[in-house]
Amino acid sequence: MTVDSKVIGYMVSEERFPDKAVIIKEGSIGDWVYVILEGRVKIKKQTSRGLLTVDTLSEGNFIGEMAMLKQSNSKRSASAVADGPVVLGVLDSVRLLQEWEAQPVRIKKLISNLIQNLEKTTKKAADMIVASK
Amino acid sequence: MTKNKEKIPPVVKLNYFKGDLIIKSGDYGISIYEVISGKVGIFVESGGAETRVAILDPGMILGEMAFLSGNTGTRSASARALEDCCLEVWHPAMLLNDYKQMPDLLRRIAGQALKLITRMNKMVVELSLKQEEELVDGQTHGGYDPQEENRKFYRKSVSLECVFRPVNSPKDLKLPGRIRDISKGGLGMTVKTSGLINYTPDFGDELFISIYLMPDQKMNMTAKILWLKKDKTESTISLGTVFTHMEPDDRKRLGFFLMA
Repeated sequence: MTVDSKVIGYMVSEERFPDKAVIIKEGSIGDWVYVILEGRVKIKKQTSRGLLTVDTLSEGNFIGEMAMLKQSNSKRSASAVADGPVVLGVLDSVRLLQEWEAQPVRIKKLISNLIQNLEKTTKKAADMIVASK
Repeated sequence: MTKNKEKIPPVVKLNYFKGDLIIKSGDYGISIYEVISGKVGIFVESGGAETRVAILDPGMILGEMAFLSGNTGTRSASARALEDCCLEVWHPAMLLNDYKQMPDLLRRIAGQALKLITRMNKMVVELSLKQEEELVDGQTHGGYDPQEENRKFYRKSVSLECVFRPVNSPKDLKLPGRIRDISKGGLGMTVKTSGLINYTPDFGDELFISIYLMPDQKMNMTAKILWLKKDKTESTISLGTVFTHMEPDDRKRLGFFLMA
């Protein structure tokens, strides 16, 4: 996946992170949304056996969008950690949020329901990885 | 795509009584439902038995993944009213225009969420299968066949008190233990050696176990010791067991407990 001009149009700045830097911390409050411009980012969940990687995202993927879209609770549902040096585009979260809020109510319900299910499934997967070890 | 709003079916509200089937697995269907009141259970069928995999509360949506992925195939699960409930039915045509008019970036973010959830679902299924295979490999005693069970189960970490005794011991013997994890196939527990009166657990021993999954739900089962491990001070022993007998009702209750 590549980052095209439509996404670039939302970028307000660029941030660089060294390997293993914590970009987003699970449980913290935040509304920044990023797009990965270069490098890879590991998605990690806190479990009874420490931090566990549940997915790895790469160029063109978004991170931090879940807190904005799930509506009820803006706590970060997972941590995002740099896997090697990473360059991120910081998106205009005010504009994104305005556009999101302007969507018809049913579309919003539909997508925030999807995001909540993603959060639940991710947690379940993390629990199962722990159980299988 | 028509822009004529008259051609889009109106939103309808439907009422269901407790126990009514709302969606049948395998049927064709494209409608999206929002739960307005009551609770809806999602059931997956496997080997002739229905297992509840989710409960939807008011405000939750059913059928959104099929809509977002453009899937017009058959329903992958059944939905049943767990109590009297009211659902709002949305025809996808109504949402499609709105979805197409969404800013590109929001649509891409939704598309990514759909991809990630599909990946996570796949991972969950693979992990269930893996754990099931390990159980089958470790099993030496008949009476319980995990292959017949729903394949989507996993080991849940818990901390539940239990009482147990070897199957051939007097019925009034009650040894204390603590369940550490449980799945449809077996459980792991720790016991204090100080609480074991004249009994030393060994491989292959069969135990009667009673536990309370919920305060009012006592469950009984027999399980066989597959492995055991003493800690350094020998004050506690960890046991891994595989179920050898459980009543169907208890098995059902355990299934719900694991999915909750």
